[in-house]
Amino acid sequence: MSSRPVLDVLRRHRRAAAVGCGSSMLHQTCEALVPVAIGLAVDRAVATGDVRAIVVSVVAVLVLFAVLSSAGTFAFWVVDRAQFDEAHHLRTAVARAVLRDPAVLRDRQVGDALSVTTSDTRHTAEALGLVSFLASGCFGLLVAAVVLLRIDVALGLGLLVAVPVLVLGLQALTPRLEARVHDRQRTAGLAAAVAADLLAGLRPLRGFGGVPEAVRRYHLASSVSRRAAVGAAGATSVVVGVSTLATGAVLVATAAVAGGFVARGRLDVGEFVTVVGMASFLADPVRNISFCVQQLAVSRASARRVADLLRPDSPRRPLGDTTGAAPLETVAGEVLGVVTTDTATADAVTAAFAAVPGVLVEPAHTVLLGETLADALASGPVPAGRGVPLADALTAAAAPTDLDLPLADGGTNVSGGQRQRIGLARALAADRELLVLRDPTTALDAVTEDRVAAGVRALRAGSGTTVLVTSSPLLLSRCDRVVLLAADGRHATGSHHDLLDDPDYAAAVAR
Amino acid sequence: MSPTSPPASTALPVAAGRRSATVLWRTAAAHPTDLARALATTLLSSAGTVALPLLLGRAVDVVRAGDSLTPLVVQLSVVALLTALTTALARRDAERLGATVAADLRERVVERSLRMDPRVLERAGSGDVASRVTEDVELFTGSVQLGSNVLTALVTVLLSAVGFLTLDWRLALAFCVVFPVYAGSLRWYLPKAGPLYATERTVASARSQVVLQSLHGASTVHAYGMADLQGDRVAVASERTVGASRAALRTFARFSMSMNGAEAVGLSALLFTGFWLVRGDVVTVGAVTAAALLFHRLFGPLGTLLLSFDEVSRAAAALNRLVGVVDLPAGPATDPEVLARAPRRDVGLVVRGLRHSYSDGPDAVPVLRDVDLDVPAGTSLAVVGESGAGKTTLAALVGGVFPPSAGTVTLQGPDGAVDLTTLDAADVRDRVGVIAQESHVFTGTLREDLTLARPDATDEQVHAALAVVGADDWVAALPDGLDTRVGPGELPLSPARAQQLALARLVLRDPPVVVLDEATAEAGSAGARDLEQAALAVVRGRTALVVAHRLSQAAVCDRIAVVAQGRVEELGTHDELLARRGRYARLWDVWSQSAQPTLPAQPTQAPGAAAES
Repeated sequence: MSSRPVLDVLRRHRRAAAVGCGSSMLHQTCEALVPVAIGLAVDRAVATGDVRAIVVSVVAVLVLFAVLSSAGTFAFWVVDRAQFDEAHHLRTAVARAVLRDPAVLRDRQVGDALSVTTSDTRHTAEALGLVSFLASGCFGLLVAAVVLLRIDVALGLGLLVAVPVLVLGLQALTPRLEARVHDRQRTAGLAAAVAADLLAGLRPLRGFGGVPEAVRRYHLASSVSRRAAVGAAGATSVVVGVSTLATGAVLVATAAVAGGFVARGRLDVGEFVTVVGMASFLADPVRNISFCVQQLAVSRASARRVADLLRPDSPRRPLGDTTGAAPLETVAGEVLGVVTTDTATADAVTAAFAAVPGVLVEPAHTVLLGETLADALASGPVPAGRGVPLADALTAAAAPTDLDLPLADGGTNVSGGQRQRIGLARALAADRELLVLRDPTTALDAVTEDRVAAGVRALRAGSGTTVLVTSSPLLLSRCDRVVLLAADGRHATGSHHDLLDDPDYAAAVAR
Repeated sequence: MSPTSPPASTALPVAAGRRSATVLWRTAAAHPTDLARALATTLLSSAGTVALPLLLGRAVDVVRAGDSLTPLVVQLSVVALLTALTTALARRDAERLGATVAADLRERVVERSLRMDPRVLERAGSGDVASRVTEDVELFTGSVQLGSNVLTALVTVLLSAVGFLTLDWRLALAFCVVFPVYAGSLRWYLPKAGPLYATERTVASARSQVVLQSLHGASTVHAYGMADLQGDRVAVASERTVGASRAALRTFARFSMSMNGAEAVGLSALLFTGFWLVRGDVVTVGAVTAAALLFHRLFGPLGTLLLSFDEVSRAAAALNRLVGVVDLPAGPATDPEVLARAPRRDVGLVVRGLRHSYSDGPDAVPVLRDVDLDVPAGTSLAVVGESGAGKTTLAALVGGVFPPSAGTVTLQGPDGAVDLTTLDAADVRDRVGVIAQESHVFTGTLREDLTLARPDATDEQVHAALAVVGADDWVAALPDGLDTRVGPGELPLSPARAQQLALARLVLRDPPVVVLDEATAEAGSAGARDLEQAALAVVRGRTALVVAHRLSQAAVCDRIAVVAQGRVEELGTHDELLARRGRYARLWDVWSQSAQPTLPAQPTQAPGAAAES
């Protein structure tokens, strides 16, 4: 990924950008010729009273507009399609980057990442349209200059000097604007993140009566965002005011000079109309250029945020603490119970297993993906030669069997126990050689837990190695071997019943 | 599922256009100074835009007559200067108004989302709300800036009609031929555009849900190595939005061509009419020039007006979705007379004839029926039973999370009693605290997370609450203490610690009644008993209803209710229920079977001790 992400966008869509620029230049040329047509019509037809001339003028106007319209619409169609595709490409790339390596999220809140994935990708793609708009604006100025030079060299040169100076002057204002716009986007992202976080924790929040305080905090974040938007409005208005003043000055100066030339016979009235109309028309490309410059600032700010998520080389913090513990030795095909006397050791063992390639560790906190139970159970390709029928996995985990069961938002519409059992069924169906389950039955009642323990044992027997990090006697009594890891580093191995004589073990599994 | 019709039956309501307009106007009118400034500066900047071509037309007559151009140039300069100034002010004022209106609205949307009927929210999904709060808010904010452009354009077009009249009424008439053309293309376009943009928004919302889910479940996806599968889901949802956007674009492209048609017809009509009027010596060449130049200047504003129908459609769709949330009915505030009777201390729970089903209609299957329970003030009741027995529903109803289909939950105090459903959410939460199955660590510092429950809590109070739930040790060990940032992407907390924070929030909030539903479920085995201790500390001295999967937790409660198939089957102390040799005794046997040798909760002591205290 280069450090110029907007350029990358253009490179990816160079054909669309080229075609879009070309036809919008043709469009802009026609726009520039409209004042010429008006001038000619006034001079040759209206001022002379020649009927043939007026008929020719009107037909010419209609043809001019036909070309103008076709070229404009074509440019618009090509560029917007490319923008949709590019936004889609970036959105998918960002999502895939996060999914391949959750550490990419780093310090980002979910709402913030959501706004990068949805809004910033769109703003970045909009650079395509802005660039073709910018190119056609510049070309329009060129056409106008050529027309003006043919009418009068001094006037044409004046405009050729004045207009670039104005454009460069407007450019000088943009760093300030870009900072303000960036601030506006950043604070809007933060406010969205606060809202997304509060909504994600809505049920707990309501349970302890935290809604009024939550509302107050969102209002705070929202007003910070509002103040930033007001600041950006101030900066924008300066740019808009200066650009309007600049186009007004060009118009008045042109009218004054051209009027003087007519008085001295250097121009005819038609040329005066064309020159004045052209000076007035010039406001459009100049304003378009100023608009594009402003919006490109938005695109650049967004593109930086997108590139930040896609950049592969920045340092990352590992998601879990993996120091201290090596994965335990396992015997192929066994069901191994792991009992710890403290949570930190259990975390470390789980994380160490998770770091081994090919090992599946079903996270203790179950998140279900997709819209139905069938979606939630799908977890990508099963390794060659393996596979457990869904129905068997569901039965073993005592999970619901209606595959069309609708699931909302990570399965929060089903009970914690059901969620846990569906997660377990997903892990069983994934059928890995080494499967690690962390506290897989904590949300289950004893009767169901007993059934699930038997089901897991029966399903995994002969199909792979299973590690159960748990303190559930119902699970442990079905293990081939149990390892006790005490906080002081002491290890003990044996069957569940043998280990019950160990006071630390007995305390750990006691209920 | 067809690509253009994702499930909409469960989505949050969408307001009608007229209603949205009213809400928008009222929101703006709540800031009368800002509104008046924005309108005044817009009017002035439009007047300047119309005046310039009229003055230029007069210049043609002046130079043809050979008079001095100087006074006119002075006038032009003044008008150009004022136009620039008022345009800048109009832009600033309108954007400020827009930012304020957008902030007002999004604050109301979020507030209403947070206070929304939980059943409505769960049906709709938080992704729908999140997309309204992020994308729709952003779209709407952008459109208020657009709104100022539309207003400027509209005023400019109206003022230029006056400008044409000052030249000649027939020229004004020639200008008016553009309107039937515009009207015709709008009539063709608008009915097509509305549904297309509505679809575009709905598909975008579905896409947000998938993206949000992927972000929340990133670690799960990573664990399974299913990045490709989930990435494909995002790609499919995103592809669908591309399809919807293209459909809208095709229609819009056709519409935009008709606009150029109107311009061509208008310009031709003006030149043609002007030609005959000049031939008849009715108007000057300067007047026709002015008319042509003015019309040429109007391409921009007219284009803005028509093109904005497109963006306005989009923004209106977004606004309708925002107002849909704003208009969700809010529960009535507690009647002061009822509030006066509502007990704050020594609150007991009385449950009578409780019945609940999650769907309406005669054939709805009740999840819970004929439940009568009494939890005297200061005592605890455990609820046990198999999965699906209705325990969670019972806890939710008693906790006032949502109202029962039938029956009552009464808060009984020494001086009065009230039905839980007659209190508003805040008044319920002053009395009843609920910890439900899932926990959430709120993003921010640890202090911010905890003080959500009690904003005015001092650090001492926060530490004391952490001590009650046994979390003071690990919090003290953090380098930044209460200033440590927690939540997604910050310091990761184990489910057990997250659950401790949940309990600590309840201690800070200090309600007389607590309802704990599987409060230890997410803890994992090693932490479960610590959490049980923590929960016990929270329950102590309060009236409590505890949904217990770990029977050791039930055994230490004063009484136990066994729920099966939506009914209370058994009710009594641990000893009584064991003696009865019924359902509870069987559950207890399974539970204690494999841990029998060192059973810690001595069943003959714990409940008895609690009953005597």
